[in-house]
Amino acid sequence: MADTVLECRNLWKIYGKITAVKDVSLEVKEGDIKLVFGPSGSGKSTLARCLAMLTTPTKGEVILTGENLTRSGVDLNKARARIGFVFQHIWLFHHLTALGNVELGLRQVLKLPKEEARERALQALREVKMEGWAEHYPAQMSGGQQQRVGIARALAMNPEIIILDEPTSSLDPELTGEVVDTLRDLAQKGTTMLVISHEMTFAREVADEMIFIDEGAIIERGPPELFFTNPTSERARRFMARLIKRTRRE
Amino acid sequence: MTFFGVILGLGLGTLLAIGDLYGGRVLSIIIKFYVEFFRGSPLIIQLFIFYYSIPNLLGILIDNHTVGLIVFTLNSAAYQKGYIKGAMESVFEDQMTAALSLGLSKAQSIRHVVLPQAMRVVIPAWSNEFASMAKSTAALLVIAVPELTSNLKAIASWTWRVLETYSFGALIYLIWISVVMKILDIIYNKVKIPEIEITA
Ligand SMILES: Nc1ncnc2c1ncn2[C@@H]1O[C@H](COP(=O)(O)OP(=O)(O)OP(=O)(O)O)[C@@H](O)[C@H]1O
Ligand SMILES: [Mg+2]
Repeated sequence: MADTVLECRNLWKIYGKITAVKDVSLEVKEGDIKLVFGPSGSGKSTLARCLAMLTTPTKGEVILTGENLTRSGVDLNKARARIGFVFQHIWLFHHLTALGNVELGLRQVLKLPKEEARERALQALREVKMEGWAEHYPAQMSGGQQQRVGIARALAMNPEIIILDEPTSSLDPELTGEVVDTLRDLAQKGTTMLVISHEMTFAREVADEMIFIDEGAIIERGPPELFFTNPTSERARRFMARLIKRTRRE
Repeated sequence: MTFFGVILGLGLGTLLAIGDLYGGRVLSIIIKFYVEFFRGSPLIIQLFIFYYSIPNLLGILIDNHTVGLIVFTLNSAAYQKGYIKGAMESVFEDQMTAALSLGLSKAQSIRHVVLPQAMRVVIPAWSNEFASMAKSTAALLVIAVPELTSNLKAIASWTWRVLETYSFGALIYLIWISVVMKILDIIYNKVKIPEIEITA
């Protein structure tokens, strides 16, 4: 049995009257690829941010390789450095080049010497096929290229898991392909990932488990085959039907 | 005087902005009072207060120039804090989150990600700050720091050529302000991020 990298137990996140995450428990093992999906506003981003401790959960536990991150006194900066995060809206540092974006964490957090940080950053850019753009600023790149740099930035830190929050949803349809290809490469290398995505072809190919979320709660979970052939819940069935129709049209 | 006041004000203003944004409630309230005082009262009053009451209160003698510089710095900081905070808030919630996700501490995120970008946004606002500070140097007259206006007054009373002297003075102000603006423009274009036009 592979070891558990990241898990949450009975996780809740409540914003005033809105319950964004409702009693969610899940577990990502080494080499696992979990795919989370669900309607807009269902709490996917909030769940992802709680898992990465970018927001503090209201209730419940987040555990990274046995260490409970929701206890007080935990060095969250150290924990966050071990969890890669790729954002829905990309969020590269505008004032830094592609290389600068990737180097920042290596220099400031891992404290690597200049040369080594540079080497490792270039290596990460190579993995997403962006080494030719090292000296360019985000504003000089297409959305797809920016997001690949975003992936390289997370990857370079050598995290134990990468959480990707709808990495293609802010891109034009013709640019999603290159990012999905990058994700496929990662999957092939056995990267531990939790991906929020509605790219159903990709999901079917690589996901070990798909998790359907609605109104903050897990409605149904299982292998891709379950969702593509015969989801149990009515909500998942309807949502899948819509997604598949959309995929066909594209 | 103007120049140093604004530069020191920038440093202090930045600290105030950071304190206000990330320093918790109590600090935020204290900063608010500070800003209200310096923005809400005339510079002349502030000069008077500092010039006449500080030596009494603390029992130390400070010369006119130092008082002038202190008040200018504090005053400028109160204004600049506003610009800097605005700049930090507007664009940088997401940038901060991205920095934290890499494992940077809050302080590191501010230093390496938020501030470098906020400063670029703030530069246009600086031009205004310089211009208004340069004009208010005239207020130093009240504590007799021999700034431009007071020199002019002396010259005018010696020479009796009031109109010419003051026109000349106005000209000097104008030149001084446009030189500073030009320098800021150059700095701005130099540090500007390619392809991004910042409007503040
Ligand atoms: N910081 C916040 N403050 C208040 N409410 C929030 C906050 N963040 C999210 N919410 C609310 O929580 C709910 C879930 O939002 P979330 O962004 O997690 O959904 P999502 O599934 O990621 O949606 P999308 O597919 O549009 O990205 C929404 O109702 C949202 O308005
Ligand atoms: Mg989202």
